[in-house]
Amino acid sequence: MKAPAFDYVRPSDIGGVLAALQGGHAMAKVVAGGQSLLPMLNLRLARPTLLIDIARIDALRTIDDRGTSVRIGAAITHAELEDRDIAGCAMLRTVATGIAYRSVRNRGTIGGSLVHADPAADWPLALAALGATIIVEGKSGNRAVPADSFMRAAFQTRITDDEIVVAVDVPKLSPAARTGYYKFCRKTGEFPEASAAAVFDPVSRRARLYVGALSGPPQPLDNLATTIAENGITAITEAAVAAAVDPIAGHDPAERRMRRAAVMRALKDVFAS
Amino acid sequence: MTTVAFTLNGAPITADVQPRTHLGDFLRDNRRLSGTHLGCEHGVCGACTVLLNGAPARSCITLAVACDGADITTIEGFDHDGVMGELRDAFTREHGLQCGFCTPGMLIAARDIVLRLPAAGERRIREELSGNLCRCTGYVGIVDAVASVIDKRKPCEATADSVVPHVTAPALPRFTPVATQARPAASLPAEATRAPADEKTARQGWTRFDESFVIRKPRAAVWELFGDVPRVAACLAGAQVLSYDGKTVKGRMVTKLGPIAASFAGSAAIERNEADWSGTIIGAGSDSGSGSRTRGEIAYRLTSLDQDMATRVEVTVLYNLQGALAQFSRSGLAQEFARHLVGQFAASIGAQLGDDTLASRATGSSLNVGQLVWSVAKQWLRRLVGRTD
Ligand SMILES: Cc1cc2nc3c(=O)[nH]c(=O)nc-3n(C[C@H](O)[C@H](O)[C@H](O)COP(=O)(O)OP(=O)(O)OC[C@H]3O[C@@H](n4cnc5c(N)ncnc54)[C@H](O)[C@@H]3O)c2cc1C
Ligand code: FES
Ligand code: FES
Repeated sequence: MKAPAFDYVRPSDIGGVLAALQGGHAMAKVVAGGQSLLPMLNLRLARPTLLIDIARIDALRTIDDRGTSVRIGAAITHAELEDRDIAGCAMLRTVATGIAYRSVRNRGTIGGSLVHADPAADWPLALAALGATIIVEGKSGNRAVPADSFMRAAFQTRITDDEIVVAVDVPKLSPAARTGYYKFCRKTGEFPEASAAAVFDPVSRRARLYVGALSGPPQPLDNLATTIAENGITAITEAAVAAAVDPIAGHDPAERRMRRAAVMRALKDVFAS
Repeated sequence: MTTVAFTLNGAPITADVQPRTHLGDFLRDNRRLSGTHLGCEHGVCGACTVLLNGAPARSCITLAVACDGADITTIEGFDHDGVMGELRDAFTREHGLQCGFCTPGMLIAARDIVLRLPAAGERRIREELSGNLCRCTGYVGIVDAVASVIDKRKPCEATADSVVPHVTAPALPRFTPVATQARPAASLPAEATRAPADEKTARQGWTRFDESFVIRKPRAAVWELFGDVPRVAACLAGAQVLSYDGKTVKGRMVTKLGPIAASFAGSAAIERNEADWSGTIIGAGSDSGSGSRTRGEIAYRLTSLDQDMATRVEVTVLYNLQGALAQFSRSGLAQEFARHLVGQFAASIGAQLGDDTLASRATGSSLNVGQLVWSVAKQWLRRLVGRTD
């Protein structure tokens, strides 16, 4: 199918984007990589009347080392994160490499993925586990939203219709930190059926474990993460994982098993040496 | 129309395009470059892959207007490209093509693999090619073709996939984590309770879920409201009754979940059983925009609670979705979509009867005013807020 008709603008800066969003268009929508929006337009599931292209705005295309964190512009593509080693943020590369296919990664952006808020997407899960912060800009300035509460429900986030995501702040991990990431896909590059992310940093004393690809946002398994940090690998038992995962994993036995296995395998990364 | 200028296969071009035209259509229809094939048109098959500023991109999900100032190379533009020459020979030698439909996209993806991953082994080549679907060859010949080009180019005996040195990291020491900060509760819908498989659930492609909510009003009052179809419809955000004759209702339902917006028009037959306080609504509708069709059955039953101070409403929803929207039903999304509506419905029914204890239910799943501006969302709000009955 073909996309419905719409107008298109490409402002040169963030101010221009915010002005266009407030320009009174019936259905104005930002487009970054278009790798989620364009399929929906082609299927006519989304019907905006104006697209505001942000993919080339310089201020959204920087990666800045800020000492304890790294600030990644919203329009940085998955491929750019795949091709880069960012000190203290090695997990970004692992996650980026597993998203879709290279020709999708070349255009799809980290900001677009967060705002699209597909429950099975990789960035909402990974950035929640990393304890990242999402920087949102509107007409009254910037605000910071923790990544683990940014997504409200499937396809719903905490940004308002006249705001955009400008960047993501990812805290750097210490060299002693260990991370794990696992997603179950029927076919390489597809959205996963179950996914999990783990981040353990003994220096900053952070222990975060999340399960993703649910019907809503990724969910934390805080108690299990704490027990594992305190007791090490012996705390990872089938029973402990089941007890943590099953209450949120639904009633389908196959789904539960996949979710438990995703958590197990993410944890395996953490303890592999 | 918007004017774009970019470099196409080495030559500068200028053209007028509609913003909605994707690059694939532009190349084929406007430039007559039919080597770029269109299969799925939503980013899955890879047949439409071209080079955009030197990197592979799917032309079906790239807008032509967004390519202003870019450098585009289609399969027709590789005549003097050495790697592409080697790949062409290898595809011929290894029987890497049959009908050729996938081949242009396959070659462009393959060229990227050869240049970007000079040590890729078979497994990696297969992973990298997973975004390009072939209906004919079974991939063996294609993978062999790519592998043979990579092997010929390998400097010495760099073994496959061994570029990343294996580092042994120290084991994770035990530690007491700092307390995680309380997070605002996200609205994760309770998973559908699975009813025992009966004849209906067993129907291929049908989704069933059960929901219940309590209204703090006597059962007779709730029953009466449920009998008043236009009033019940007013409780379903986006529902519009066009006609109702006591048995059959014709109407329209505008629904939205994040970026997905659909407007279903259809009709439903309504039956009520006074004897056991139950009813069924059986209907069908279609969304002309996305060409999606749905059929559904809603069964409800009212039970009296707390000496008839309250009523439990049990709803069983059984539906089947076909067409474009059905593609988004993975991971329980269609269920989320339906549940979102039931949640709003419960709150509105409660509000109609003067019970606002359910209002909190609606806020988590309420219209997504946050993310996008849609005129439908505005209409919904106006109708909800401005409703006078
Ligand atoms: C075949 C295929 C397979 C895929 N597989 C995966 C997968 O395995 N894992 C995964 O995580 N993703 C997957 N994706 C999605 C892909 O990663 C997208 O790139 C990503 O979800 C959206 O990013 P985008 O920049 O393309 O966003 P767009 O499509 O441009 O926009 C998506 C939404 O975000 C809004 N938006 C974009 N940027 C901003 C911003 N800065 N501020 C405010 N709003 C914004 C848009 O208005 C729109 O609503 C897949 C996509 C395809 C086509
Ligand atoms: S036609 Fe573009 S990926 Fe299928
Ligand atoms: S050769 Fe026919 S689709 Fe691949």
